[in-house]
Amino acid sequence: MDITLLMSQCMSGLSQGMMLFLIASGLSLIFGVMNILNFAHASLWLVGAYFCHSIWFRMQDYGFALWLSIPLAGLVLAGIGWLIEVILIRRVYKRELPEQLLLTYAMVLIIGDVIKISWGVEDRIIVRPPEVSGPVFFFGIPIDSYFIFVILVGVAVAIGLWLFLQKTKYGHIVRAAVFSREMVSALGIPIPRIYTGVFVLGIFIAGTAGAVQAPVGSITLGMDMAVIIQAFCVVVIGGFGSLLGTLVGSIIVGEIYAFSILFWPQGALALIFIVTAIILVVRPWGLFGTPMRV
Amino acid sequence: MKKYLFLGLIYALALVLPLFIGEFWIHVAVEILILGLFAVSFNMIFGYMGQLSFGHAAYYGVGAYVTGMLMVKASVPLAICLPLSMIGAGICALIIGYFCVRLTGIYFAILTMAFGQLIYYIIFKWYSFTRGDDGLQGIIAPPLLFTVNAYYYFTLFIATAALIVMWYISESPFGYTMRAIRDNADRTRFIGINVRKYMLINFVIAGMFAGLAGALWGPFNRSIAPDLTNWHHSGTPVFMTVIGGPFGFFGPMIGSVIYTFLMAFVTGFTEYWPLTIGLVIIFVVLFVPGGVLGFYESKIKGFRSKVPKSEETIP
Amino acid sequence: MAEEVILKVEKLNKAFGGLKATNNVSYQMRTGELSAIIGPNGAGKSTFFNLLTGYHFPDSGNIFFKGVNITYWPPHKITRLGIARAFQVSNLYPRLTTYENVRQAILSQQKKTLNLFTPAHRLAKKETQELLEITGLSHQTNMTAGNLPQGDKKRLELAIALGNKPDLVFLDEPTAGMSGEETHETMELVKRLNEEIGLTILFTEHDMSVVFGYARRLTVLHQGTVIAEGTPEEVRANEDAQRVYLGEEA
Repeated sequence: MDITLLMSQCMSGLSQGMMLFLIASGLSLIFGVMNILNFAHASLWLVGAYFCHSIWFRMQDYGFALWLSIPLAGLVLAGIGWLIEVILIRRVYKRELPEQLLLTYAMVLIIGDVIKISWGVEDRIIVRPPEVSGPVFFFGIPIDSYFIFVILVGVAVAIGLWLFLQKTKYGHIVRAAVFSREMVSALGIPIPRIYTGVFVLGIFIAGTAGAVQAPVGSITLGMDMAVIIQAFCVVVIGGFGSLLGTLVGSIIVGEIYAFSILFWPQGALALIFIVTAIILVVRPWGLFGTPMRV
Repeated sequence: MKKYLFLGLIYALALVLPLFIGEFWIHVAVEILILGLFAVSFNMIFGYMGQLSFGHAAYYGVGAYVTGMLMVKASVPLAICLPLSMIGAGICALIIGYFCVRLTGIYFAILTMAFGQLIYYIIFKWYSFTRGDDGLQGIIAPPLLFTVNAYYYFTLFIATAALIVMWYISESPFGYTMRAIRDNADRTRFIGINVRKYMLINFVIAGMFAGLAGALWGPFNRSIAPDLTNWHHSGTPVFMTVIGGPFGFFGPMIGSVIYTFLMAFVTGFTEYWPLTIGLVIIFVVLFVPGGVLGFYESKIKGFRSKVPKSEETIP
Repeated sequence: MAEEVILKVEKLNKAFGGLKATNNVSYQMRTGELSAIIGPNGAGKSTFFNLLTGYHFPDSGNIFFKGVNITYWPPHKITRLGIARAFQVSNLYPRLTTYENVRQAILSQQKKTLNLFTPAHRLAKKETQELLEITGLSHQTNMTAGNLPQGDKKRLELAIALGNKPDLVFLDEPTAGMSGEETHETMELVKRLNEEIGLTILFTEHDMSVVFGYARRLTVLHQGTVIAEGTPEEVRANEDAQRVYLGEEA
């Protein structure tokens, strides 16, 4: 096994991991703060990809098309996230777990068909701009330059979230709310507004992630299904509500994926499930989550 | 008394159904029965024990594959396949359940889903054994049951027997212990019950009946595919139970009637069934949280007695 | 009735994070005792019960019940051996009726809970009705437990605990929220159970009249440590106990 193969697999895994991180971070945040497991998170991610393509398509003659489409798609999704929170999500905060899960699960079905209706069944492809089309050479090893971009975005989001949670007043409130809703409410801070804000933020990141993913391969119906399961695994392994946990979990899953291609190509997903199951049995709150009585 | 009369009436109706409706709708009726059985087995874990299993389709699928493969590859008669399917599904549930019952709430839900996906994955990828994504074709019912009507009566008979057994279990001390675990697992430990062990037993029983439902599906559909085990299919009994109401024993069956009917109807003129059922579920969750049975209990019979939480459960 | 030691606790320790909830506690009970543990809030009484009933595991120390080392046993095993518990905050089955609540404990004690095929409503009728009568709950037989008045909830707690036919019962504030008359009734029942059946009982209470009126032995707990022990009179005269309770005496 030569070093070139190892390195390129490693980078592939890192890129995959970062992509998962972008999706899982919103999922983890929403669950950590609001205790809602958003089944539809990957579906909204996919909508982000589709929106990115639509926006890019109109501007594709311009060099900056992709770079503009990505944040725009993110913003559109933030708006959609806001609508969803206001119309649907906030009605089930006080409900039991099964009803919350069912609501977000129903959303998966609805969004799936809405995508079909809006964008049809054909695959969409975004042509990458020249800056990120070719390989970049890292100690003589060719690495897809778009992977580098994805990794950079992931790192940027990670740092951004970290700064937000650690350094801003709003972020402190969010962290406190993960810990104790009652306390935050008792301090006079409106919990509903925090929930809305967190949800919108989570969906914004998901939408942006989808847009970032769009130029990798093609955009297909049903991509969200495979991804949401992996995102769940990431959040379980890393620990709900923990930013560091989500990052670590994402990288672990990404690397498992990348390396299992080398010696057990059929088994990548199975391996991820097995690891997830082990964590759930041995340490249900994940590597970095807060221990609790289960 | 009134309840039994009502049930008797429904059953009599079911017995003479083929005289009144065409073959297509008898087909639908068989589907209602099989999926209803699946949903009732799910409710043993959900409504009675209070846990949400998002991987119940795994046992349905295992049951389907045991019967399917035995019939296609070894020409084992259906009558023997059925109990074997139950045993196969039960063993699966035993292994998976052993780990799942250590958790509750959302962790239980996710772990059951993860295991469900693992089973799906195994069946999907193990091409040499299960023919993977191609599925298993040519599962032919025995000549006696070859017509739709015959298979309908067969399914009706098996489903009724299974329902009676599950009914007795739900009204037994074991069934009440399940309710106790649902309502206050801690307390139940303190009256001397090994909660984990009991949860596992219930999980296995529920899995066995799901396996039975799956076994009935193969010869009916003539073919089976790994899709039967994935998490989407696991959602079906959840939907049915929620629509019908997790309240009473027959809630999931009522849900199956509504769901299957709706699906047969809607898929007749549009491909957007997921959109439809998604909207229905949202509607039920937001506005009719107790399902049909809940609606009936509260509006027509008047409140039985106020319950402390907003959610009603099986009394 | 032999006056043997039924419960022996040796040097029990339990800390939560930095807080020492149980500090080197040693304790003993003989069969047929009716004793109380008292102490200000946060003294560690509930933790003590939790340790004895398997809800928590101690950091160090031993617990012997009927000679058996139950230190690390899970709650259901300890209950099977003969310890029952009535909780401070009602720990009932809110959606089942009073009758069903009590019956559940009895069915468990009778080891009938693995019975899958006999309708439960046919079983344990006599025993359940008897227990409801003894604890004064017959008039609430069909009421949903969650809707019971506070006093009846505490009585149901007691009934469930008794349903397990225990040899030793822990009562965590059995008369909390009860009127004077209810308190008297409940404690008379407790006393009768102790005298007539020989049930060993350990209770905690904040109502000092109950404690001094019924307990034959007292133990005072403060910040996880036993600071006084003996008959009620001895404890009353104890200076440490007085100091701890200054301003708390009812």
